[in-house]
Amino acid sequence: MDGRENQLQAGLSSFLAAEWLPGARVSDLARIPGGASRETWRLKAHAGDAIRGMVVRIDPETSLIDTDRRTEYRAMEAAFKAGLPAPETLFLEEDLRWLGRPFSITAEVTGCQASPGGITLEHRDAIGRQKWSLLGRIAALDPLTLGLADVMAATTPATCAMEQLDYWAKVIETDELHPNPVAHAAIRSLRRNPPPPAQKLSLVHGDYRTGNFLYSPDGEIKAILDWEMAHIGDPLEDLAWSLDPLWCWNEPDRAGGLLPHKEAVRIWEESAGLEVDPEAFRWWQVFAALKGIGIWISSSEDFHSGASKAPILAIAGWLMTDRQQRILVDYLSPHSMHRFVRVVK
Amino acid sequence: MIPRGSEAIRHLVTRVAQDLIPKAHDAYTATDLGYFTVLMGLIAQDYDRAAEVLVSEHAALQPILREAALHIDDADLKERIAKALAAEAPSLRVSDLTARSDVTLKLLIDLHAAVEAAEAGGADWARTVNDEIWRFLEAHVTAHAYEAAL
Repeated sequence: MDGRENQLQAGLSSFLAAEWLPGARVSDLARIPGGASRETWRLKAHAGDAIRGMVVRIDPETSLIDTDRRTEYRAMEAAFKAGLPAPETLFLEEDLRWLGRPFSITAEVTGCQASPGGITLEHRDAIGRQKWSLLGRIAALDPLTLGLADVMAATTPATCAMEQLDYWAKVIETDELHPNPVAHAAIRSLRRNPPPPAQKLSLVHGDYRTGNFLYSPDGEIKAILDWEMAHIGDPLEDLAWSLDPLWCWNEPDRAGGLLPHKEAVRIWEESAGLEVDPEAFRWWQVFAALKGIGIWISSSEDFHSGASKAPILAIAGWLMTDRQQRILVDYLSPHSMHRFVRVVK
Repeated sequence: MIPRGSEAIRHLVTRVAQDLIPKAHDAYTATDLGYFTVLMGLIAQDYDRAAEVLVSEHAALQPILREAALHIDDADLKERIAKALAAEAPSLRVSDLTARSDVTLKLLIDLHAAVEAAEAGGADWARTVNDEIWRFLEAHVTAHAYEAAL
């Protein structure tokens, strides 16, 4: 074990002994690859005869996304209680004395993987149907009934779109290392052509895509992950993000690499009990690509400044920004050949 | 000197992928090293093309700026366009070319907004310039595109 593992093992053992079961100790710490927004470790917690697999997510010094861990934790907790497949939340700890940084702990979801590359042709369609059916269920949730009003900013159907646009426009203006004329053209276009008010306000996951859920070897989605950008807003925001061409780069006709776009939207509509307004949806498609640029620009700024040396941040900043710009030009240029799907019903 | 940086970087990518990743002691390290190889592949592409892209783009913007300067009323924009048209990078180092490009792209953003406003007001010249700006942006994203297996 290296120094970091020793430090975590000691800190987490002390924490679990105080907060879970007396005498608890931690073993089998293993860092989980991928999750760029939090430092994530798998562990076994022991206390007497009890052994429980857990996952600890530790605030990084920097990350792809500047978010509040309490919002993430509470959104995941609400989703779990609502019967959605989400990791069971166990502890949220903001006291720095244990690990030097805030952290949360959830139950481990065993025997699954999240990698889009691991989805077999045999299970692709079934996972796709589950994916958009579950997203529809999220869209059907009322965040106020879930008790999330104290951790999520209030908004209205008429203002939620422009509030999101203002947020991400500011991120881009603040963090861009080089001027990005495509992103700024998109910001102006979105401001000139605001969408109609949201049909309803719902819980928005904020990063719902292939790669952010765990699926079992037999093709069942077992847990929706990465709730750190959850907020109250227009459910079309999540749908547009889930269908962004970035998530099916090598196979643009299959949303998220799983299903034809129109089928994904049909399943979502049935599950959410909502109808997609094509005009509003086109606005959210452009917004999704712009939001992606905001996330990727932020990550490359962190890498450039030295706040983080994680190579995934640089890849996101370079490769993903490149692709997201190509998507925006495809959407907005008067000369576009429209390689990417915009008509979804 | 024959600049073979891109080839050298690709050799390093192969070495990491074939020799070091299999020896990684855990999945996290292996994944991190995999990201390194992707990142190095992007750097290899930029190493070879960066100067060409930056010089070509600066040249491609010249006629757009000249045409816009004939019609733009805003004094600040006119002055910035004149400066951009006269701008010489201190050298062909990528850092100097990038610094010049940053100034010009910032100008392009502000000019594009002004052109859009003029087009909305019915100015025919603005429709033509807007069209040319979008052609530039299409070429810009194509020139900066990366090849990657991801």
